[in-house]
Amino acid sequence: MRSVLVTGATTPIGEALVRRLLANKRVKSILAVAAEPKGRTAFRNAPSRLSYFPLDLTRQRNVRELLFGPARDLGVDAVVHTAQHRRATVDGPRVHALNVDAARELLMLCEEHPTIRRFVFRSYAEVYSVKAEVPVLIQEDHPLEMSPSAPQWIRDRVEADLTVCARMGLVPLHIVVLRAAECFACDVGSQLLDYLGSRVCFRPLGFDPMLNLISVDDLVKGLVRALATPAQGVFNLPGADTLPLSKAIELAGRRAIPAPGLLLKPLYALRARTIGTDFRYDVNRWRFHFSGVLDGRRARTELGYVPEHPIDWSRVPRM
Amino acid sequence: MAAPRSTHRRTPPSPRRAAPRRKAAHRGGASAAPATAPSSASAKLGGAPLPAALAARVARLAIRDAGHGFDPFGLNAAWVAWALVVFGPLYERYFRVLSHGAANIPASGPVILAANHSGTLPFDGLMLWLDVVRHSEPPRVPRAVADLFVPGLPFVGNAFSRWGVVGGSRGNVRDLLESGECLMIFPEGTVGIGKPFSQRYKLQQWRVGHAELAIRHGAVVVPVGIVGAEEQMPQLARLPVRAFGAPYLPIPATLFPLPVRYHIHYGEPIPIGRDYKAAQADDPAVVRQAANRVKAAVASLLRKGLAERKGIFT
Repeated sequence: MRSVLVTGATTPIGEALVRRLLANKRVKSILAVAAEPKGRTAFRNAPSRLSYFPLDLTRQRNVRELLFGPARDLGVDAVVHTAQHRRATVDGPRVHALNVDAARELLMLCEEHPTIRRFVFRSYAEVYSVKAEVPVLIQEDHPLEMSPSAPQWIRDRVEADLTVCARMGLVPLHIVVLRAAECFACDVGSQLLDYLGSRVCFRPLGFDPMLNLISVDDLVKGLVRALATPAQGVFNLPGADTLPLSKAIELAGRRAIPAPGLLLKPLYALRARTIGTDFRYDVNRWRFHFSGVLDGRRARTELGYVPEHPIDWSRVPRM
Repeated sequence: MAAPRSTHRRTPPSPRRAAPRRKAAHRGGASAAPATAPSSASAKLGGAPLPAALAARVARLAIRDAGHGFDPFGLNAAWVAWALVVFGPLYERYFRVLSHGAANIPASGPVILAANHSGTLPFDGLMLWLDVVRHSEPPRVPRAVADLFVPGLPFVGNAFSRWGVVGGSRGNVRDLLESGECLMIFPEGTVGIGKPFSQRYKLQQWRVGHAELAIRHGAVVVPVGIVGAEEQMPQLARLPVRAFGAPYLPIPATLFPLPVRYHIHYGEPIPIGRDYKAAQADDPAVVRQAANRVKAAVASLLRKGLAERKGIFT
């Protein structure tokens, strides 16, 4: 049956995906790829169906050797690309190389590949523009966040998403882009989780927008559905939790203090510098003002994806 | 735990209240029963001290709960309950709203309430919203469609979203109608609410969006004539000052709205969604024709309401 290559395999999402694929006996082999050496991963004692390759995705030569070496030998026919830089406070060309260039190169190599037929790209709900004048319920044709003042964290995600979308229909490869809601879990780059790490959470005065969050289990379920169905295109992956920001703060057991929006950027910049946290107010500014909830109808009808794993709010870690 | 105290005064028994629903003119507090809601219901409704009948209505509201008691747009039953508490006195005692023909609101399916708009400040929207929550059967929360700048207003935009107000973007209204919700639209828009006193009860520019939506999504349109609001706050002038996206700053003749009596008249539903094919939503002439049907129905309700009322304040 299907052989799958998973990038970003050592992240909680990648790891959960690999485990889910391993549990599926119809998946013949799994090729897990990440930057860490094998000895430092959870795949040390992996079964024979799983092969792990430490790899820097920004080096095209290495990627080519992997794809046209072990991947071809294993008959990999689907690639799930989840690797993206997780820290929002780190900018620069190296981050861009991983977020955008690596996705482009991987896609181009997949197009030339003799066995790969399906490319699943994990994208983000953050690529969508969230403003007062756009719909609250975000469908796949919603305006994207193209503001030149957007932080690199967002711009990279938009560019990578569009890079992959631009190849749809032009090549025989089946391309699926999954724009997932914010994955609310540790070590996946969740901005909200980092924000809720403090006992006191400052939120914009006069605004309490609706958010949608997805659990790792549901995100993995969406990725698996994207592998299992022949559907192509862009799909939103909403999570089971749709709630106002204030409710999220309350469920996490934190105290919300509304403050003028102008104060929040310097306040959280100071927090990041002094404590080393990752939350950036400029990344989250608009969605902390205006509601933006993914509409998952398309994923439901075409992928059979329905979120069913709500977030366990009792396990929100504190700093 | 002590039972919550009702903020509503008992209304005297009235022969009208015993009359059949369709014929009745519902007085503001008419549906409020004397007893208060049980404490468990109050807790479920965010502790809002509502009379039992209103609490029961709120408990019966069909809200698309997206997981934490809120619908995807932010509508929340507890906020609705508190709105009934907070604005109840305004509805019952200040504007003394009389509701006529609320039974014309369909029990289910996509509905558009199309009403005249006036009064400098949108109390007409608030009174219509309260009236529908209090008198529709089964109870429905009308989703007011506001100008796009409204969700961007601090505090106001937030509270409005909890009460079901949505920005008038195509995506929002499409989703609501596809989900069978009841929309509340004022086709006159800001031109209507800012109309000079001399233009009262004269329908201003009548936008056609509501008709297009009804055709496209198979909705019925219930025309609504609101009598009273047009005299509540005569406008002296408007300053070309844009604040928080509002198109102008009104200068009213009074600091507060006058205690006019509101009469809200619901007309017979116009089955626009049935009378036209969905593809005709792209034909401007057909859409204009459908909108004119609604406009004529609203104008007729206004004429009827003005003829029936005894005075502005009574």
